[in-house]
Amino acid sequence: MNKINDFSIVTNNPIVKEKYSQVIFVDGGFEDVLIKTRDLVHSGHELINHPLGASIRMFFSPYRSIIVSSKSTELVDNEHVSIMESSIISYRKQMENRMPDIVNSQDYAIIDSELLDSSVEEMKRFYN
Amino acid sequence: MKLEQNRIYIKDIQFGDVTAVNNGILTVNKEEMINFLKEDPKVKDVKLDIARPGEKTRIIPVKDVIEPRVKISGGKGFSGVTQTTTQLGDGIVNILYGAAIVTVGDIVGFQEGVVDMWGEGAKYTPFSKTFNLVVDIEPAEGLEPHMHETTVRMAGLKAAEFVGEAGRDAKIDETLTYDIGNIDEETKKYPNLPKVLYVEMLISQGLLHDGYIYGVNSQLILPTLLHPNEEIDGAVISGNCVAACDKITTYQHQNNSAILDLYAEHGKTINFIGVIITPELTTLQGKFRSCDYTAKLCKTLGANGVIVSEEGYGNPDSDLLMICKRLETAGIKTVLITDECSGWDGASQPLADTTPEAVAVVSGGNVSHVVTMGPADKVIGNDKAIATLSGGWEGCLEADGSLKCELNAVIGATSEIGFHYCTAREY
Repeated sequence: MNKINDFSIVTNNPIVKEKYSQVIFVDGGFEDVLIKTRDLVHSGHELINHPLGASIRMFFSPYRSIIVSSKSTELVDNEHVSIMESSIISYRKQMENRMPDIVNSQDYAIIDSELLDSSVEEMKRFYN
Repeated sequence: MKLEQNRIYIKDIQFGDVTAVNNGILTVNKEEMINFLKEDPKVKDVKLDIARPGEKTRIIPVKDVIEPRVKISGGKGFSGVTQTTTQLGDGIVNILYGAAIVTVGDIVGFQEGVVDMWGEGAKYTPFSKTFNLVVDIEPAEGLEPHMHETTVRMAGLKAAEFVGEAGRDAKIDETLTYDIGNIDEETKKYPNLPKVLYVEMLISQGLLHDGYIYGVNSQLILPTLLHPNEEIDGAVISGNCVAACDKITTYQHQNNSAILDLYAEHGKTINFIGVIITPELTTLQGKFRSCDYTAKLCKTLGANGVIVSEEGYGNPDSDLLMICKRLETAGIKTVLITDECSGWDGASQPLADTTPEAVAVVSGGNVSHVVTMGPADKVIGNDKAIATLSGGWEGCLEADGSLKCELNAVIGATSEIGFHYCTAREY
């Protein structure tokens, strides 16, 4: 990714869909967002932020937003592919006995959006 | 730096006419304390309550835990946060040892963070053994989430300083001295001992996922070097309240077990040369930069060994292992402290990432371990939050009101700095 505006957000979060213009909206759950992102990374999109949250609680979030480069290259980054694949395995393992916490969906949507904003700010410090 | 910690043993907390310590009994003037905290116009109301070890009391959702202290000389309170910026790590501090300020505030509906003062739950949280003054903060209406979080965080720190002031002239029961000179001096004293650094990783990712050093949000820093005394003197503050089991509360920073254990070995088996605080960022570029920079600091300082502790689970696992890989590759012996997310049966891969260089790993326990906690006589905080804990799977709320939950809901249960009771053992 060369320029700050060359990014897309893979998300199933309706707040993020409203807030950002560069959205690849996934009509599904957290796992579907991971799978869509994995497919993009496999086809040469750069993974910008880590697909998993930083705490167990955020695994129960019904919503997730992940940043990728909007343009793809022919060169697939194996490390990014590996991060995506192991994240999907971790997510499935974590959710084996649990369900997404849909009762608190609205709060998760807000926090996911806030954490995404922080990631975008952090990204801007690298790409400008 | 030389820090003298004067401990005043606290054997009970009661509400009274004055905020003072007499014969180990801490009395708190409820009205004065509430009025003090309400000086912040963003605080609409404050409720105070006391939870003692052994009482059938459940506190939920806990935001932070803070040790009440007062600085007698050498800097002030939470420097750069509640006080103007001063250098911490030197001088004298009086500590109400055995007391804790526990803040409760449901910033979002899915917050976990339970402290049970009795029974099965009490076995897992270190804060079932402290006399807890619980501060339940109701913010002014219409505060956006960031301001709400800041308000509750600041109220907790101010509460700890208000109560800590009672220790200023109280009778001191024990004095501990923490004295380590500069690296050159210590290396001359202990030329044959291996130089050891402690790397403390902090979640640095945004709302409810932040940490602060002298008031600076760790999202904005490059990995930075502290003298160990600075952290145990209040330089590091928690702004994190989602990962209940492995968040590092402010209390745990003030009493960081990794630092204290390394201190105990300093001059005997090791030469403890400092603490590096490393942010756990969200972008891959950020993670690479932090990990490279951490390894560079360790190499530049000539460390022979490094202890690395993690905060959280998920994406921080990548940082933990990247740091490990870089250090081991540079010939620096590395020990990791983390916790495990290994499923209900404990048999799954414990971390979200792996590396063959991670050959020495200390586990703080399995966050997925299921515990059953009996019904409480009294709930302090928001009893609706219990529904969040019990909403995970069928059969988690038993007919008698017992609560079945994973350890991840219990404050400090699987601390990744070792400030707790759990460990994992092969047998």
